[in-house]
Amino acid sequence: MQTTAVNTIAPAPTPARAANPDELLDIEGLKTYFATANGLVKAVDGVSLQIRQARTLGVVGESGSGKSITALSVMRLIERPGRIVAGQVRFAGQDILKLKDDDMREIRGNQISMIFQEPMTSLNPVFTCGDQIAEAVLRHRGGSKKAAMLRAVDMLSQVGIPDPKRRAKQYPHELSGGMRQRVMIAMALSTNPELLIADEPTTALDVTIQAQILELMKALREQNRMAIMLITHDLGVVAEMSDDVTVMYAGKVVEATDALTLFDTPHNPYTKGLLASIPRLGEHRERLEVIKGVVPNPLNLPSGCLFKRRCPYAMPICDVAPPLRQIGENHVSRCWLTPDGGKPEIGEAPLKAEAEASSASLTVEAR
Amino acid sequence: MMEYPTAAAAVQAATNGSTDLVKVENLVKHFEIRGGLLGITKLGAVKAVDGVTFTVKHGESLGLVGESGCGKTTLGKVILRLLPATSGRVEVGGKVLFDIPAAGEKHRKAQMLDNKQMKTVRRDMQVVFQDPYGSLNPRMSVGELVGEGPLVHGMTDKKQREALVRDILGKVGLNQSHIHRYPHEFSGGQRQRIGIARALALNPDLVVLDEPVSALDVSIQSQVLNLLDDLQKEFGLTYLFIAHNLAVVEHISDRVGVMYLGKMAELAPVDEIYTHPQHPYTVALLSAVPEPDPHHRKKRIILKGDIPSPANPPSGCRFHTRCWLREQLGRPERCQTEEPLMREVRPDHFAACHFSEEINPKAVADAVIDTAIAPTPITPTAAMAEA
Repeated sequence: MQTTAVNTIAPAPTPARAANPDELLDIEGLKTYFATANGLVKAVDGVSLQIRQARTLGVVGESGSGKSITALSVMRLIERPGRIVAGQVRFAGQDILKLKDDDMREIRGNQISMIFQEPMTSLNPVFTCGDQIAEAVLRHRGGSKKAAMLRAVDMLSQVGIPDPKRRAKQYPHELSGGMRQRVMIAMALSTNPELLIADEPTTALDVTIQAQILELMKALREQNRMAIMLITHDLGVVAEMSDDVTVMYAGKVVEATDALTLFDTPHNPYTKGLLASIPRLGEHRERLEVIKGVVPNPLNLPSGCLFKRRCPYAMPICDVAPPLRQIGENHVSRCWLTPDGGKPEIGEAPLKAEAEASSASLTVEAR
Repeated sequence: MMEYPTAAAAVQAATNGSTDLVKVENLVKHFEIRGGLLGITKLGAVKAVDGVTFTVKHGESLGLVGESGCGKTTLGKVILRLLPATSGRVEVGGKVLFDIPAAGEKHRKAQMLDNKQMKTVRRDMQVVFQDPYGSLNPRMSVGELVGEGPLVHGMTDKKQREALVRDILGKVGLNQSHIHRYPHEFSGGQRQRIGIARALALNPDLVVLDEPVSALDVSIQSQVLNLLDDLQKEFGLTYLFIAHNLAVVEHISDRVGVMYLGKMAELAPVDEIYTHPQHPYTVALLSAVPEPDPHHRKKRIILKGDIPSPANPPSGCRFHTRCWLREQLGRPERCQTEEPLMREVRPDHFAACHFSEEINPKAVADAVIDTAIAPTPITPTAAMAEA
């Protein structure tokens, strides 16, 4: 095999990272695998990302990217045949993967809350909306049922539901999709969490209702100084809401930087392909750009770079899986191309060693 | 600007009648709601489509957009006679598919093509559905799925059919050797291509596409959209493209119709409707779409409340309960009492609003400010303090 090396500007990857007090959530080297009947699916395969206090991180990816499983792993909601097999998830400095179940329950729904894509299937159909919100309050704040219900009605009003007292007594099926999503947001925020994980919160909603919900989330995060991990495939929503963005593909982080940089100067060919292929309002293109091919089958992943078969820049080097590499001060990309997008120079040192070394310590991190 | 006695007349006057492939007049589809002890009492009706008139010219793409309950999907199905209409007239390729008089139209006789005649017409109008997983029979191979149409319409020679199917599969970008595979062996995007191949097998004039890319990943959407573009040019197809994604509709359409609660709110050429919307709902819809550009985090018009139920639509103008323009104009009574008819507000541009002329950039800017959501402070309630 040809030994090639790459001119990198990356410093050697550091094995351990000092805890940064500003960081609320620090995921390092997360691996969540599913042992299915057809084989091992590496849904999340060495993902690292950080979210700082009161910042919004957009996690972008398509089907099979692993973004939802990452969120569920943080919440420790992974069930068999899935298992978190490696990595650390530090929340406010503490590795929550190591917590006992009881201790995790203190955090889940309390300091870290989650809202899901399909409000109808995520809300319990046999309990009233008010009861479901009050349950979270009672569980984490104690107190009387009456007080919890008052808080529930208060939350419903805060998320913009008119006539909240009446709505609190209604069941999820009596509410529209947008309203149910608001109920879920009310439930998630009732305990004043520091981190909200939102998994495709507006995908199932009409566009005018989506606008309402996004505006609501913006208002609430500002007022509560809440960090948000916003998972979506919609680049418009990412641009609207995010301070920072992480792009995922086939279980790995392929690019991470702040939102402005990602949209202005994306580095990773997958990100570029994604941005180029979406139709945008007001544009008059004859043909859309296309990413050829399909997302790889997780049971049959190619060797080397997972994107190489679809990549317009594919080179022989891509047979060696690239690590995340520093592209700019706050910008990493999983690609052998140089920071300015050019082909790498061929040098002396063995390439494979670099890839292996960095994958052992998992990274150059994505700030 | 001229006003016309009926919406049909307005649209007809502007479009050149002879180049129309599809003519839809006053189409109504109500779904009855029944209840009571034996489920036979008529409680009301879901007015899914409540009087829609438009045409589709040969070779053009008409995009239909709208949100939940607007009736766009039902409209597509009724035009294809996959659902029976309640009343109205639909003509495709010069043939009257049906003409059912409404309750008050005693003087008109009903017309209806019988099943045998419809079968011939169905060759020329095909459909591509939204769900690539549900719209293909899992027990039929790709070859059987795509070849079924030709078989039903007389192509009994197996070799001839296979040749046709292989040809079409190639045209939609599928591997011809996969002809004996089953749907579950393909990805979502590939299945959608199979659905498109199936629609093309009979070389139709009209293809109704109901949300054909909504269920696909973003990177696959553009592949399928480009394919649809190419096929339209190659086969001279006419598209009725139903979707909720405004950017997708803008890309593929020549003209766009915006629907709200069973009615057509606006109908215009694509450039016109996106640059000079003449209906406050269209304005709000365009405003709501998040733009993939973090430098331009736009302020939007936020509509209040939910979309009303089509079983109980508001009186007068259906949109008046959420209309920002009506608020700005001091809630004129006309919006509540008088249903606006489609009228030509700009050349070849129709909108159903009493006050389209009041829409201008300043009005829109004011609406954005008026509707911005301000954060409400969380004040601990006394009861919580007790807890």
